[in-house]
Amino acid sequence: MTELDIAGVGIWSPLCSNWKEFRDGIEHGEWQSDVPLKPGLIPPRERRRAPQSVKMAVEVLDQACTMASLDPAKAAVVFSSAMGDMQITDYLCGVLAEPPRLVSPTRFHNSVHNASTGYWSIARETHAPTSAVSALYFTATMAFLEAAIQVLEEDIPVLLVCQEMAAPKALLSACQSNNPISQCVALTRPGFCSDPLASIRFEVEHMKSDWPVLPDQLDNIFNGNPAARMLPLIAAIAGHGMTDSRDEASFKFPLSDGASLNINLKRRKHTTMLT
Amino acid sequence: MRIAISNYTATSCLGSGIASIHRSIESRDSGLCRNDLPNCDLDTWIGRVASLESVTLPKNLAPLESRNNRLTWLGLQQDGMLARIQSLIDQIGVERIGVVMATSTSSIGRTEEGYTRLDESGLFPPDYDQPGVHNLHSPGLFVAAATGLTGPSLTISTACSSSAKVFATAARWIGFGLVDAVLVGGIDSLCLSILHGFNALELLSAKPCRPFDAERDGINIGEAAGFALLVRKDLAPEAEFELLGYGESSDAHHMSHPHPEGKGAVLAMQKSLKRADLQASSIEYVNLHGTASKVNDRVESDALSQLFNDRTLASSTKGWTGHTLGAAGILESIITLESMKHGLIPGTLNYENEDSECGFPVLMENVSKPIQIAMTNSFGFGGNNASLIFGRTDD
Repeated sequence: MTELDIAGVGIWSPLCSNWKEFRDGIEHGEWQSDVPLKPGLIPPRERRRAPQSVKMAVEVLDQACTMASLDPAKAAVVFSSAMGDMQITDYLCGVLAEPPRLVSPTRFHNSVHNASTGYWSIARETHAPTSAVSALYFTATMAFLEAAIQVLEEDIPVLLVCQEMAAPKALLSACQSNNPISQCVALTRPGFCSDPLASIRFEVEHMKSDWPVLPDQLDNIFNGNPAARMLPLIAAIAGHGMTDSRDEASFKFPLSDGASLNINLKRRKHTTMLT
Repeated sequence: MRIAISNYTATSCLGSGIASIHRSIESRDSGLCRNDLPNCDLDTWIGRVASLESVTLPKNLAPLESRNNRLTWLGLQQDGMLARIQSLIDQIGVERIGVVMATSTSSIGRTEEGYTRLDESGLFPPDYDQPGVHNLHSPGLFVAAATGLTGPSLTISTACSSSAKVFATAARWIGFGLVDAVLVGGIDSLCLSILHGFNALELLSAKPCRPFDAERDGINIGEAAGFALLVRKDLAPEAEFELLGYGESSDAHHMSHPHPEGKGAVLAMQKSLKRADLQASSIEYVNLHGTASKVNDRVESDALSQLFNDRTLASSTKGWTGHTLGAAGILESIITLESMKHGLIPGTLNYENEDSECGFPVLMENVSKPIQIAMTNSFGFGGNNASLIFGRTDD
């Protein structure tokens, strides 16, 4: 198995605006509702124009990068989403369905799948590489693998974003996502940060597996959201379901129809200690 | 880890398969035509794959119907690619071959059509109810279904650098040992979103595009599908070319304007040189991003001047193919490989008047010269940059 550290986490959904609120929710079942999305990295004037997808991603990138105390100039980004910005796709296809087919130039340039990483690199003035990927149902696990391999082959920390928006009506048949969620984990080489949240070991196994179940309270909210497939791992970092006295948990995530991504997670720092 | 290019193919407005590239470069015949895409009256030129309307998908792939997937299917059938994939499956096993595709807009053309036919409740009619098509991974899903490849499969979408970045990801996957070979590809097809979007940004030219020309006034959009089979060198000792290096960077400047001093572009080229362990003077030819937009060409010229002297030949081939967006990286990689194979370096079609703001010398005419090492650049929206270096295998 291959080892990595998770040095920081970021999360935003209508239920929780950050890691502390997520942890409170997981521990006590106390969830927020309709929390605002106001990424501090995007100036208020630009925030009104920035698409929701960009605001979600920049917010969780900032949270995870800050928690991990990483220098953004020396951290790559892998952004993942099965469908990309579905609100902009809905807008473009709606406008183009009949004349005069006048498209907003800003919404067009924001339609690229790497819009979020573009905004991030501008906001943090980082020239580090960024990527944006999809693997439809397997987006979260394939993006994890892509990010993990970058950490090891390029010897650079990677901020991995797993994000999906709520699908507009016409696209619901393609993606049954009813609520948006964005999560970010800061992946580093073992020991890169002196005080990581968790250590993981992973391997690819050529055997079919089923998706781990989501924590009860989140299942009906995020069922069908491809990015939420990573929630069991994120929840375990927060201590959910940690019955193991060694603070370890093992997962088998599907990587394709015939392979799985096996991840063993060991909590290193009890995140209740974090503010 | 040495990465061999065991087979490659490209289909564009120049024709189906790689023979069309050398033929068109040599005769200096452009594939561009006046825009005649249905339901699109924009005054511009496009690089359209002429035979695409007559392509039909085989029965097992028909549920994945879209213009993008038809182009993918047409592209995969050229230059013995499907047979080469099958023999590699027989050689190393299907689990050891990955799929990394690139696109900027995937099958959104099909989604656009679906939106003109939404039913009264705002849903797609049955023939457009295609979850495997209306998503960004549509190229990866289609290629896996068409080739029988079942290994790890990913689609990269970073606008116009997408299909340069597939080479970097494939090299990492092979270096890490995840797989021993990767089928990489890039596919983008003409659609209303792209044409109207670039029109809204006032970036389209109403004439055939003129990269680096003082009178250049914008880009032409093209469509293309390109594929390359990247293999661990020891598994393909007969391969003629290798991927020597790749470099990726961000501009950190603007969503749709390049960094004014080309900082990200320079960084991507420097990183590719470092990975290849080469000096800039070793690069004999650079196939430029050269879109024919006012700003891109000036900035790219400036970036080249920061690294290379005029012994390095450079040209843009977008006057032949238009800007094929998410397919541009691999199409221009393949044009570069064909230049090396035939010893014929393309000039820059439609470039007639030197621009004093573009200081680096860019070839107008084709040059016959054997070359061993060449670079290609791809820069995208969001300030996303990638450079690749290819070399002729010398052992």
